[in-house]
Amino acid sequence: MNTNLKISNVTKIYPGCVANDNVSLEFNSGKIYALLGENGAGKSTLVKILSGVIIPDEGKIYLNENNLKLNSPLDAKKNDIGMVFQHFNLFETLSVFENLIIDSDEQRKSLREKIDSIMKKYNFSIDLDIPVLNLSAGQKQKVEIIRCLIRNPKVLIMDEPTSVLTEQETSELFLSLKKFSEEGILIIYITHKLKEVMQLCDEVAVMRRGKLVSVSQIKNENIESLANKMVGQNLKTIKKRKTKTSSDQLINITNLNFISEDPFETNLNNINFSVNRGECLGIAGISGNGQSELFQVLSGEILSDKNSIEYNKNYIGDLNPQERREYLMAFSPEDRLEQAAIPQMAIFENVALNNFKSSNFFNNGLINENKIKEHSKKIISDFNVNTDNIELKSQFLSGGNLQKLIIGRELITAPDLLICFNPTWGLDVGAINYIHETLIKINEQNKSIILISTDTDELLKLSDKISVIHKGKLSNIMNADEVTSEKLGILMGGGN
Amino acid sequence: MIKIVKRDQPSRAIFFLTPILAIFLTLVAGGLIFYIIGFKPFEALKFFFIVPIADMYGFSELLLKATPLCLIAIGLSFCFKSNNWNIGAEGQLTFGAIVSGGVALIFYEQEGFYILPIVILAGAIGGMLYASIPAILKTYFNTNEILVSLMLVYVSKLILDYLVVGPWSNPEGFNFPETRQFSDSARLPILFEGLRIHAGIFLALAAVVASWFIFYKTYLGFQMKVSGFSLKTAKYAGYKGKKMIILVFLISGACAGLAGVGEITGPIGQLHREVSPDYGFTAIIVAFLGRLHPIGIIFASLIVAITYLGAETAQIFMQIPKYTGQVFQGMILFFLLASDYLLFFKIKFTGLKK
Ligand SMILES: Nc1ncnc2c1ncn2[C@@H]1O[C@H](COP(=O)(O)OP(=O)(O)OP(=O)(O)O)[C@@H](O)[C@H]1O
Ligand SMILES: [Mg+2]
Repeated sequence: MNTNLKISNVTKIYPGCVANDNVSLEFNSGKIYALLGENGAGKSTLVKILSGVIIPDEGKIYLNENNLKLNSPLDAKKNDIGMVFQHFNLFETLSVFENLIIDSDEQRKSLREKIDSIMKKYNFSIDLDIPVLNLSAGQKQKVEIIRCLIRNPKVLIMDEPTSVLTEQETSELFLSLKKFSEEGILIIYITHKLKEVMQLCDEVAVMRRGKLVSVSQIKNENIESLANKMVGQNLKTIKKRKTKTSSDQLINITNLNFISEDPFETNLNNINFSVNRGECLGIAGISGNGQSELFQVLSGEILSDKNSIEYNKNYIGDLNPQERREYLMAFSPEDRLEQAAIPQMAIFENVALNNFKSSNFFNNGLINENKIKEHSKKIISDFNVNTDNIELKSQFLSGGNLQKLIIGRELITAPDLLICFNPTWGLDVGAINYIHETLIKINEQNKSIILISTDTDELLKLSDKISVIHKGKLSNIMNADEVTSEKLGILMGGGN
Repeated sequence: MIKIVKRDQPSRAIFFLTPILAIFLTLVAGGLIFYIIGFKPFEALKFFFIVPIADMYGFSELLLKATPLCLIAIGLSFCFKSNNWNIGAEGQLTFGAIVSGGVALIFYEQEGFYILPIVILAGAIGGMLYASIPAILKTYFNTNEILVSLMLVYVSKLILDYLVVGPWSNPEGFNFPETRQFSDSARLPILFEGLRIHAGIFLALAAVVASWFIFYKTYLGFQMKVSGFSLKTAKYAGYKGKKMIILVFLISGACAGLAGVGEITGPIGQLHREVSPDYGFTAIIVAFLGRLHPIGIIFASLIVAITYLGAETAQIFMQIPKYTGQVFQGMILFFLLASDYLLFFKIKFTGLKK
C-alpha cells in the first residue's frame, strides 16, 4: 500500500527564533528522503512535529489525505509514525528489554521473540538483559531503532541515526533501510553526512534558518552542490599541512591498566603511548571498545596509578579532572547531554563547569558571574553558536550548537593538550570544517591533541599518528600517512 | 473540552505558584474531610488556621514552631540540592539537643556570658557528629544514606530516653523523665515578656541569609547545583564528590542540632523525653514546599507551623485528635507532588467540539 505524508504550511516559533517558517513538503513511500540543513536549521523541530512531540503554531499534517491531530507522541505511534530521536530516550538503569517493553502492549514472551527476530534480521547483537547504562552510544542507538521496528511503522523518521555508528554498522543499517523502503515504509532521514545522502537517499530537502530552501532529486546533486545549498556559500576544503613534528614529549602513558568492577565496561589492558608537542594522536575504533574508559582515565574521571601518566615531567595519574586542568589539559567528552553539559542549566552556567585557573570564574570561593558571562559571549561568537542569549537553558540549543558550545568551551582556553572524543558528532559540514580548522591550528601552535573518534575520515584528516583500540587494547602506533582506511577497518575489527 | 498539553519548557512562574495551589487544595480537601466527619467545614478550618494565630500569643507560638522547621529545612536543602537524601534530621536534632543539654547540665549551678555560646556550639557539633555517620558510611562504604540516617533517628531517641530516665535525671525530680533545669545563662533569651518566642529565631534568620548567599553566590553552591543535576557531570568537572557529601551533611546536621538547642534552651530549659514533635521529619515537607529556596522555606515553615497549632486548638475546641495536624502536613506534600505535574504539562481549555 502506498503511503503519502504531507506537511502543509507548518510554522513553529520560539521566543527569539523561528524554528520552522511556513514549511510545506510531501513524501511518498518507496523512496528515502533526506532532510538536510545546518545546525539549528529546524530539522529536528520539523520531525518532532511529525512525531507529536512538538505542536506547531500553525500548519497541518496529512497522512494519506487524512488530517492528523498529533498532540502527543502516542498519537503519532497510533498513526504508525515511528521516530528515532537525535538524543537517546532511554532509562539508563533499566535493562534493554525493560526499556523496550515500556511502551509496548505485547506479552513479554512474544515481544522477546519479536526483538530476537528483528536483531537477527538486521544483524544487531545486544544483550537484552543488561542495563542501558552499560551500552555504548552505538548500541543505545540500536535499541532506539529496534523500538521503532517493533511497531511495524508506516513512516520511519531517523534523526541523525548514524552519528555514532561505525562505517560497517552504517552500511548494515543502510541495507536494512533500503529493505524497509522496499517493504513500503516511508523513510525520512536526517543527517549531516552528505556521503550517506548520496549513497542512500532518493530525494533531498534542504532547510536553512527554519525555511525550506530546496527540494531535489539526488541524481541531480553531488556532495559539493548539497553542501553549498546547506550553507548558502562554497565551502573551502581544508587539509592539514604536513608539519615537522617535534620530539619534545608532552604526555607519556606507560603500562596503564583499568580493571572495571562493572562487568559491562571494557577493561583497559596495558596501554602505552606518548604524544609529542604539536602532534595529534588519533585513536580509532568501533564504539564500545574501551574508548570511553580510555577517555575517562585520561581526563581523571577514573583515577589510575600515579606513575602511569607522565605529563610535562609530572606524574599525574592520581589527579582528578579539575587538577589536571591546572596543567592546561582540556577534555571534551562524547556524551554532551549526560556528561559534558547540564541541559537544565543556562549556557553561561555550563561554561563555568570547566574551571581553568586562568579563566577566573571563581575567586575566593565566590562566583564571578560577570567574568563567566563575558567568557560565554566570546565562545558563542567565536564558535558561531546560534543564539545571543547566554541565559538560555542549554537544552534548547540544537544538538550541533550544543556541541559547538562544549568544544568551544574547551578550545577557547588554549590548552596544551586537548583530549576529545567524537568532537564533531552531529555537527553540520560548516561547523565540522570550523572545528577541524581549529584543531589543526592547535597543532600548528605546537599544542597537542589526543583525538578519540569513531569517524575514520576525520582521523585520517587530522592525525599525525594513529592507533586503533580494540577490546581495551591499543594497536601499534602508526604514522598517519602510512595508514589507509581499509587497514584501519581491519584493525578495528580485531584483525591484523 | 479539556486537553493536557506538554509545555515547551517548565514554567518558572508555575514553579513558585504550585506550592500555593497545593495549599489551596489542602484546605479544600481538609474542609471536605471535616464535613464528612460531621463538622461545619468553614468553622473547623477557622479553628484550625485562624483562631490559633488570632492574638499576639498565638502569633508568637507560630514563630516558635516555625523557627526549628525553618532552620532544619534550610540545612536539609543543602543536602537535597546536591542529591543527598538526608532524612534523619530528627535524629540530628535529638543528638544536638543531647550534647548541648549535657553541656548545659555541666554548668547548671553557674552563671556567665560564656555559657550560652558554648551550649549553642555544643548543639551544632552534636548535630554535625550525628550527621557525619551516614555521610561517612555513604562516601567510604557505599551505604544508602536514606536508610542509615533514618535508622539513626530511633537510636538517638533511645539514647535520649536512657539519659533522662537514668544517669541525667533530676535527682530532686521524683523520677520524672527529665533533667535539672538549666541555669539562666545557658538559656536562649525570651524576646517578649509573657510570650515564648526566643532568640533562636535569629539563628534561623541567619541560616536563611547564609544559605541564600551560599546557594547563589559561591562556588560551593554552584557545585551543589551541578551535583544535584548530574553526578556524572560533577565528576567530569572534577568536583571533589566525597568532600561535598560530607560537607552538606555537616551543614545539615549543624542546622538540625541548632534547632535542638532552641527546643531545650528556650522556654523549656531542660532535657526531657520529647524534645521535638517530629520537627525533623516535617522539615522535609517544609524544604520541598519551599522549593529548596531560602525565601520559600520561610513561608513554608510558617504555613506548616500553623498545622501544629491548629491541631492543638482543634483538639481543645473540637475534640478531634491532634494527629489531624499530620494529616494536613501529609496532604500538603501530596498535593504539592501532584501539582508539580503542571510544571511540565499545561491544561488547555478548548471550545466544545462539534
Ligand atoms: N524550546 C526552545 N526554546 C527556544 N528555542 C528553541 C527551543 N527548541 C529549539 N529551539 C531553537 O530552534 C532552532 C531549531 O532547532 P532544531 O533542533 O530543530 O535544529 P536542527 O536543525 O535539528 O539542528 P542540529 O543539526 O544541530 O540538530 C534552534 O535555533 C534552537 O535553538
Ligand atoms: Mg537536530
